Amino acid sequence: MNLFRSEEHLERWLAGREPGATTSVDTVCALAHAWYADRLDPDWRPHTLEQNQSILRSLGLTGEFWQLG
Amino acid sequence: MHELDVRIRNFLYRRFVESGRAPHAPDVAREFELSREAAGAALRRLHDAHALVLEGDVLEIRMLNPFSCVPSAWRVDAGGRTWYSNCAWDSFAICAALHSDGRIETSCADCGESLAIDVRDQRPVQHNCLFHVLVPARHWWDDIVFT
Repeated sequence: MNLFRSEEHLERWLAGREPGATTSVDTVCALAHAWYADRLDPDWRPHTLEQNQSILRSLGLTGEFWQLG
Repeated sequence: MHELDVRIRNFLYRRFVESGRAPHAPDVAREFELSREAAGAALRRLHDAHALVLEGDVLEIRMLNPFSCVPSAWRVDAGGRTWYSNCAWDSFAICAALHSDGRIETSCADCGESLAIDVRDQRPVQHNCLFHVLVPARHWWDDIVFT
């Protein structure tokens, strides 16, 4: 999971490989906060797959690529 | 996840954030009055449950996601300290986990030029880069270090 200066840099890095998924930095920041905000809570419990899938869905990260299981 | 494993996992995270150092199996054994073998088995169960990542086949903790317990190319200043993360997503996630603003310093995966992104109020400030994930979600944990 990487950061690139531009689409041109991403394409060069892929070097003909099949691309994965590209999102804005705003989206990945929002994803990080939705997924990890409870990570240090004293009463932390593991997320279910459905909870995490719901987080992805809420940010528009849908489709086969974003299916967790 | 077994209740004891949840308690051990929470201890590991708490101790790491307090000290900046990942606990070892003997630390777990002492804290929970377990044999070293039982503590090691708990670390392996947590690894298998994707609650942490061990370094290869040894009982050293490499990741307490989103934190990297070893130096990496992802530095995050947050909560008054400098941390290492495992990837772009985890870098933002350190700010999220600490409920803190922060600054992420890394480089473009293509050209190596330095990139820095500030996070304020849970949002990135003044950036012009892209996030890319190569591996489909269902395969993230096939090789989490590569992902």
